[in-house]
Amino acid sequence: MIGHFDLYMRRESALHRMDERAKIIALVGFVLAALIAPTRPVWPACTLFGLLGLGLVFGRVPPLLLARRTLLVALFVGLPLLVSRWGGEDARLAAEAFAVKSLLVAAAFMVLMTTTRTVDLLDATGRLPLLRGLSALAQFIVRGVNVLLGEVVRTYRAWALRAPRANLQLRVRGLAAASVSLVGRAAARSDRIGAAMVLRGFDGSLPQAPARSPAAAHLAIGVAFAMLSLAAAGIGRWT
Amino acid sequence: MVARKRGKDALWQARELSLAGLLGALGLLLPVGFHALGWGGKIFLPMHLPIVAAGFVLGPATAAGLGLVVPLLSLALTGMPPLPLAPLMSVELMVKAGVASLLYRVLRLPIWIALPVALVADWVVLALAVLLAAGFLNIKAGALAYVAAVIVAGLPGTALQLAAVPAAVAAIERRLPRLALKRGKQ
Repeated sequence: MIGHFDLYMRRESALHRMDERAKIIALVGFVLAALIAPTRPVWPACTLFGLLGLGLVFGRVPPLLLARRTLLVALFVGLPLLVSRWGGEDARLAAEAFAVKSLLVAAAFMVLMTTTRTVDLLDATGRLPLLRGLSALAQFIVRGVNVLLGEVVRTYRAWALRAPRANLQLRVRGLAAASVSLVGRAAARSDRIGAAMVLRGFDGSLPQAPARSPAAAHLAIGVAFAMLSLAAAGIGRWT
Repeated sequence: MVARKRGKDALWQARELSLAGLLGALGLLLPVGFHALGWGGKIFLPMHLPIVAAGFVLGPATAAGLGLVVPLLSLALTGMPPLPLAPLMSVELMVKAGVASLLYRVLRLPIWIALPVALVADWVVLALAVLLAAGFLNIKAGALAYVAAVIVAGLPGTALQLAAVPAAVAAIERRLPRLALKRGKQ
C-alpha cells in the first residue's frame, strides 16, 4: 500500500539499476556542492544543472514529471524571488541564491526518489552505524503507514457513504472524530504488535538482512559524480 | 531474575517502537488528509500533532528520533514538506518532541507546563536553525522576518496543538494504562 505514496517510478534505466549506496554518495556530494556553489559567477550553478540533466537522462525521468514534483519548491522560492525585485541588491542576491540552491537540491532529491524504492533506501541507510536506529524507526513508520492506510481507507469510505455532501462543519467534526479514533486504535494496536514482536524473538536488537557488497563500478560512478559536482562548486567559490 | 527483567525491557522496547511507528505513520497521513481537504499545512501544522503527542507517551530518545525522521520520510514518500522546509521541520520536531518527553516523562511536570515549554523551545530552535542556515548559505536578508512569518502563520496550528494534544495523550493513556504507571514510577 505504501506504493500509493512512494515517489518511485518503475522504469528500466541505468540509474534504476545502480546500487542505492552509490546513488546516496552521489546525492550527498551534489547537495554539498549545491550548498557551497556561488550564484555569481553563474557557471558553477549551470554546471550543476548540467549534471542534474545527466541524471535525468540516465534515469529516464520525464522532465515534466520532475517539473511537477518540484513545483511546490518553485512556488516556495519563487515568491521571495519576485518580492526581492523591489528590495535592495542584498535581498535580490539572497533570494536568487536561495532559489537556485533549493531547486538544485530538491530536483536532485526527486531524481533519487523517482529512481529508488524507499524500502531499498532505508535498507541502505540502515547499514550505516550512525543511522541504524533512525532507519529502523523509519521502517517501523513505513509499516505503520501500511497498517493505518487500511483504517483510513475504510473510514473514508464510510464517511463518503454517510455524508457525501458534508458541509465544512461536518467535515471538521468528521476529521476530528476519525483522528481521535485513529490515535486510540493505533495505541491499542501498538501493544499487540509489541507483544507479537517479543513472541517472535525480539530481544531489543533489530534483525538485519545480510549485507551485499555494492559493485565497484557503481561506487566509482557515484564517487566520480560527487567529486565532479564538488570540484565545479569549489572552483567557482574559491577562485 | 535478570532474564525476566531483560524480557520485560524487550517487551517495553518493542511496544515503544511499534507505538512510535504508528504515531509516525499518523504524522505522515494527517498532512495528506489535510491537504486532500484543501486546508493549509503551514497554518494547521498537522504533522506536529501526532509527533508532539508522541513526545508525551514515548521516551526522550525515541520521541526526538521520531521528530527527526518523520518530516524527512514524508519528503521522501510524498514530496512534502518541500525541501528547504523539511530539514528545518526535522530539527523543530526533534526538539519539540524531545523537550516534551523530557519534561513530562522524565521530570514528571504536568502537561499544561510541558506543552507550552515545548512549543516555545520549538520557536527558539527554529529561529536558531534559520539563522544558522542563512549564515551557511550566505543569505543576509530576511531570516528573522521569515521566522516571525512562520510563527504567526502557524498560530492556529499552535492553538490546535494546545487543545488536541492533551486530549490525545489522555486518550492514549486511557487505552494503555501502563504508560501512566511507568511515568509514575520514574
